[in-house]
Amino acid sequence: MQTFSFASGERKFFGICMIIGAISLLITFLTDDPLNSRFWSNILINGTLFTGVAFISLFLYAAKIIAYSGWHTQFKRIMESYYQFLGVGLVIMFILGLGTVFGFHSLYEWNNEELVAKDPIIQGKSPFLNWKWYMIATVILGGSWLFIGRQLRTLSLREDKEGDSTFRIHKRMKIWAAIMLPLGGFTSAAAIWMWLMSLDAHWYSTLYGWYTLASWLVIAVAMLILTIIYLKSRGYYPHVTREHLHDLGKYLFAFSIFWTYLWFSQYMLIWYANVGEETVYFQNRLENYPVLFYANLVINFILPFFVLLRNDTKRKKGTLVFVSIFLIIGHYIDFFLLVKPGVHYTTNKILAMSGGAEATAELTRLTIPGFLELGTFIGFFGLFGYFVFRSLSKAPLVPAKDPYLEESLHHHVA
Amino acid sequence: MAKFKNVLFGLYDDDEILVDAVKEARNQKLDIMDVFTPFPVHGLDPALGLSESRLHIAGFVFGLIGAITAMGFMSWISVSDWPIIYGGKPYWAVLSFIPITFELTVLFSAVGMVIVFLTICGLGPGVTEKVLDLRITDDKFCLAFDVSKMEEEEQSELKKFFEQTGASEINTKTI
Repeated sequence: MQTFSFASGERKFFGICMIIGAISLLITFLTDDPLNSRFWSNILINGTLFTGVAFISLFLYAAKIIAYSGWHTQFKRIMESYYQFLGVGLVIMFILGLGTVFGFHSLYEWNNEELVAKDPIIQGKSPFLNWKWYMIATVILGGSWLFIGRQLRTLSLREDKEGDSTFRIHKRMKIWAAIMLPLGGFTSAAAIWMWLMSLDAHWYSTLYGWYTLASWLVIAVAMLILTIIYLKSRGYYPHVTREHLHDLGKYLFAFSIFWTYLWFSQYMLIWYANVGEETVYFQNRLENYPVLFYANLVINFILPFFVLLRNDTKRKKGTLVFVSIFLIIGHYIDFFLLVKPGVHYTTNKILAMSGGAEATAELTRLTIPGFLELGTFIGFFGLFGYFVFRSLSKAPLVPAKDPYLEESLHHHVA
Repeated sequence: MAKFKNVLFGLYDDDEILVDAVKEARNQKLDIMDVFTPFPVHGLDPALGLSESRLHIAGFVFGLIGAITAMGFMSWISVSDWPIIYGGKPYWAVLSFIPITFELTVLFSAVGMVIVFLTICGLGPGVTEKVLDLRITDDKFCLAFDVSKMEEEEQSELKKFFEQTGASEINTKTI
């Protein structure tokens, strides 16, 4: 079977992306406020976004094994390469975790002792919101994903060589996948609470974990579509047809609606109940980030809903690429909105405490992503793409002895 | 007065043989009246050259009507007909209307599609369909030609066609 060769042009492309990212991060760091809030929050946005994509690919992969799904088998190596990125992503999250231990960033309000001392609400939450639990979430929960991901990948590669009609290896993959599903479902929520929701330490929402998970799902499927279409344009995957793309398009459509459903459920309940400690989250975003707040909904719901509603748009490469690119941008905006307002609030508070009004005056509020944000995103994208393509080139593109390969080759939906 | 049709039909034992026969018939430019199968056969629609169903357009239109109905009706009630302030919300509290708008969209779309489907298929309470052979609801796959206006020679050619494509039985029936 064919093996993907990581062309030098692609290496150069991802390398340039990474250099752009590094330069952007450097400029951000040099022009930042005293607490480097812009620098660290950019790392947090992209770190959670790409780690999340890696995690959700693993989750989707496990779900497909458990559900006896066969149609994705041809391109399951791409999903495998995606979750190989977990190692790199978790290192980024680990660095952020070290920041909560040693205090070289101040993204989290609960990590600032002076603020917590004055704040009975955060004091009540501090048994959970502290650096120990942050590290546990990152290292142990993230590590468990990484471990299961490694197991599944190893078994999948072994199946290529030793697979036979007893499907012994596939059955062992089923066991790991069955462990992954409940484990990933619960632990990802806990990790999301620590990484993202605790940025607004006073506020909480029981839907938040699901909501972020849905965001990851949409980005992962959009990237999967783009990768497949790119690889097809390079001549790989001759048997991945528009039938497979149609099903991926359905995923994109369905998960976009799922995301909107959760967005709306969270927003409407808070709007309806009108309790001050809950509405503060949306008030901050509506007042200070109105453009992104509505752009988020338009790009992530209205655009995919009306473009992908028709049958034939899910089968055409052009529309799929268009929607996928917009959804990746849209969900980047979503993550921007999850992270930046909370970080800005915390940074303002800390600066006001230490330096009075003068210090807060120099902190400009970034209401839309600037060029440095864009550059950082491109940098992380390059990092992700580089690792994905590198691990893609290490194994045959099509798993020759997967029991479901034949089904995938004859997949037909319409 | 109902018109009667003379139908010549062949029964096949397997869906794949039927699909091949349909393709062969289309190759020979034979005018197929209809095909009857006990279950939906994959790939039969393109083999018959049927265009894609337009039922989903009806679904979209009905859904749109449902959405407009729900949103319009609730807006009319709560803004002009019987305005009540609840929970300190404005009269036109769009967000609280969205769940019901969603429900009615789904309801209108589903019910409307069922009605359209039954109408275009000519189905309804009390309608009985004349069945060529009872076994086509069980295990036989039927390919039927309308032979009302055909000469004997043409009919015998059709019979030959059935034999060549592997039909297990060849019958005629007037319906």
